[in-house]
Amino acid sequence: METYVGTDKKVTVKTAAEIEAMLKERLGDALTASEIREYKTGVCQLPAPHLLVTVTREKFLDLVDALGELDFPHFHVMSGNDDGETIRQISHFSLFRREGRGKEVTVTVTVHIPKNDLVIPSLHSRIPGIDYSEREMFEMLGIDHDGQPNKDLVFLPDGWDRSILPWRRDEKGPNGKNAPDGTPLVRELN
Amino acid sequence: MTKTYKLPIGPAHVGLKEPVTAWLDIEGERIVDANVRPGAIHRGIEYMSRERNPIQCIFLAERVCGICSFSHSIAYAKAVEDAAQIATPVRAQYIRSLVLELERVHSHILWLSVACYSIGFDSAFHLGMALREKVMDALEALTGNRVNYAVTAIGGVRWDVTPEVDRCVRDLVAYYRNEFQPYYDAVINDPVVKARLRDVGVLPEADAVRLNAIGPTGRGSGLRADVRESSPYDAYADIPVKSIVPQDYFGECHGDVLDRYLVRLLEVYQSLDLLEKILDGLPAGPIAAFPKPVAGLAKMKMAEGFGYGCIEAPRGACTHAVELKKGDENLYMWKVCAPTYANSQAWPLMFIGNEIADAALIINSVDPCISCTERMIVTDRTTDRKAVYTKDELLKMSRQKTAELRRRMGK
Repeated sequence: METYVGTDKKVTVKTAAEIEAMLKERLGDALTASEIREYKTGVCQLPAPHLLVTVTREKFLDLVDALGELDFPHFHVMSGNDDGETIRQISHFSLFRREGRGKEVTVTVTVHIPKNDLVIPSLHSRIPGIDYSEREMFEMLGIDHDGQPNKDLVFLPDGWDRSILPWRRDEKGPNGKNAPDGTPLVRELN
Repeated sequence: MTKTYKLPIGPAHVGLKEPVTAWLDIEGERIVDANVRPGAIHRGIEYMSRERNPIQCIFLAERVCGICSFSHSIAYAKAVEDAAQIATPVRAQYIRSLVLELERVHSHILWLSVACYSIGFDSAFHLGMALREKVMDALEALTGNRVNYAVTAIGGVRWDVTPEVDRCVRDLVAYYRNEFQPYYDAVINDPVVKARLRDVGVLPEADAVRLNAIGPTGRGSGLRADVRESSPYDAYADIPVKSIVPQDYFGECHGDVLDRYLVRLLEVYQSLDLLEKILDGLPAGPIAAFPKPVAGLAKMKMAEGFGYGCIEAPRGACTHAVELKKGDENLYMWKVCAPTYANSQAWPLMFIGNEIADAALIINSVDPCISCTERMIVTDRTTDRKAVYTKDELLKMSRQKTAELRRRMGK
């Protein structure tokens, strides 16, 4: 799959509810949760639509491709968390950011990945600007992105022990471990 | 025989959340390939937040960046308010937008001046820095501080706009409307500046989309993308903002350093209009959802869930995501995305085909927080010889190029 940008690409502007309905129809049970938030601001109480969806790992690419049919999914960043048995990867996208006032829909895509098989398909061939985030998720949480051509460290320093995953809350996290110079990676406050 | 050199530009400035080293492959003076490596000094701000409550984290957020400190704290506050479902009073929303625009004015004038300094146009640099003092004074009048304003609160702001501050900001608008034009003319009408910035560090629009370029970097490539327009928030919900793109003003877009320069110049004028409209429309009412911070803290402790905040910082969209856990006073999760996180991924494309003398200028053109390009190491692969270019030497090369151009143009 190539990147979504094309010179003759036509953008189809939809509301958050229409996108949600489209995703439900396309993905069925694979869309395990969805919610629409409208954060209202200003004197006129203008709503800013935000669609939050949770999808299975197997259908993650299909979901992003479905968004890519409407507009190039502008990628902000990935966040993630160690939830115990699973690791959560949260990708933050925007659609229709070039389509005029108030048209943007924020789309947050959550995927739960089991810790014993921490692999998820990479979006690098579709959205090249996702590079730093996928590498960050790999070095901080251990999520391996299948198809990501560059798995070098991005934000951690050269010489970092890659078995230590700083955002993990389990035994792979930095607690109780030392940096190469012998200083503890985590110091107690006070 | 063509020699290939490998040049790392870095390490980066400590004031940045994600410092960047750019590795350049060069043949002679020309850059043929580039690779960007951030991470010289990751401060682990997200990790630190696990031991702090949402109010303490406001001050961490402010310290993500020394220039757009307010943008980060507001994006963070909006994310927490989204998670805990806290409604911010409209007056506080307007005051937030007011400070964001003041911050944009000072950040843009700073960048415009530093770009002039990089190419050896010192008079414009000094003129710009002198002009910038006025907005710093206004920020000090409102908040008591010049850099980290400490004006953000979850559910509002900590300082109100008094009649004195109103007058100070209106003075500022009048001052810049009178005084900024000579600066604009001096830079824009200088043929050497045009020759020096035109077609340097080009980023085509399609690549800007693919690489998620944001802010003036994206708009300089003709991308009509501004969070204030596409997803209006706070005062911008009532006051429309239109993305500034070069093709609307000059009939064409090159996607080069000059276009990024022009976009920022024009955005200073746009911010002045916005400041006036924000003051004119400033609604009456409270400035905080909670009269006492402890009440807000109690509400946040009972909240559970994910929150998201995204605003248009001077350099582009600034995104924060947080998660709160019921019964836990501290943040459960926090992710910060500074605009440079997205824009620095466009550097390799901008570098290719340009000269080493332009490298510092191209890095600066996305307005990264790494204004201090410390040094470059030159490795000659054929002889294994190493040499170090200091920041001063790089700057000297950039300035020599301008002097040479000026001589050839007879200016």
